[in-house]
Amino acid sequence: MPASGSSGASGSSAIVSVAIGQWAVATAPAKIRTLLGSCVGVILHDRVARLGGLAHIVLPDSRGETDHPGKFADTAIPAMIGEIERKFQVKANGRLVAKLVGGASMFTTSGNANPVLNIGLMNQEAVERILGELRIPIMARDLGGANGRHLTLDTTSGIVAVRIPGGADYEL
Amino acid sequence: MESILSKAQCRLLWMIFERGAESASQALSKWLGQEVRLTISEVELVELTVAAEVLGPPETLVAACAMSLSGPLSGQILLVFEDRSGLALVDLLMHQPVGTTASWGELEQSAAQETTNIVGCTYLNALAAHLPGKISRDSPASDELVPTPPTFLREFAGSLLEFALMEQALELDQVLLIHTSFASSSQELNLNWSLLFIPDRASLHALAAALTELETH
Repeated sequence: MPASGSSGASGSSAIVSVAIGQWAVATAPAKIRTLLGSCVGVILHDRVARLGGLAHIVLPDSRGETDHPGKFADTAIPAMIGEIERKFQVKANGRLVAKLVGGASMFTTSGNANPVLNIGLMNQEAVERILGELRIPIMARDLGGANGRHLTLDTTSGIVAVRIPGGADYEL
Repeated sequence: MESILSKAQCRLLWMIFERGAESASQALSKWLGQEVRLTISEVELVELTVAAEVLGPPETLVAACAMSLSGPLSGQILLVFEDRSGLALVDLLMHQPVGTTASWGELEQSAAQETTNIVGCTYLNALAAHLPGKISRDSPASDELVPTPPTFLREFAGSLLEFALMEQALELDQVLLIHTSFASSSQELNLNWSLLFIPDRASLHALAAALTELETH
């Protein structure tokens, strides 16, 4: 299985869908979308080059596993940045900004701490640490809660449109 | 990574869960006053990306009732309705023409929750009676399959599955879900419902060990 989702053509008006444990990159005017539950979506955008990426992250730490790089924060983020630089011949340093979405928790369990809830927090911490090390500023966070989120990155503007079931749409 | 269950073990599980489906069919038919049949449509280890689409397009809005399960088997049971066919459930219970109920109010949610209670508990009782002996032996004698009261949700199908499968996804690249479909002899009743049983990791390992023992005896 390819590590990234379909990247979409440069300059295409396509909408690229990202499945769980995958990422995708694209240039304007393409849009990139995904549906989140408890996973964390990491959105990167370069306003100058008008391009971006979205990774649908499941777990914080790959612990050396190489089979599914899109699943883990510590492999997906560097791989997504690497693909942006290779595919679009840009240098990501100093240009990319990030937005974080997701990490909701629907099912709570009684008794001991919910490992899924903890993973949501661990994902958030891992992503923030990795982005900090890469000096990529986080411009917005929409994390936690108990609902799924459908999000779409507009690579032209960097705006992330979020839909939640039974609620008003909003933008980050 | 090696699969936690072999194809042969999945087939064994299918047979066990069919017993649950038969009992649930009878209980649901009695509850609705219409003949309804539950059949197991899937017992399979699948990639997360495939599992996320088992209810159709992930961005489809669905109504669902969820029960958490504890005891010898733990995990989640979800009764999921495509919106309109879920509302048909309420019409049947209220003895009114299908298509009358238009939205999920308190009464409608309550009807869905009670239906989930009936279907879920009957399913589980039949399951408990046919579980491989090792699972029952390895549990304390007082443990029985205990569901929580159902919670009503409206959610994107893909998000719902992600929530339910996340516990398995913490450790496994392939996840197990047991998918039951509904059918009715009535032409006006389109039962686009699904019943999903999603065991957690501990139960998955327990099932694998018990099925291995069953195969070697």
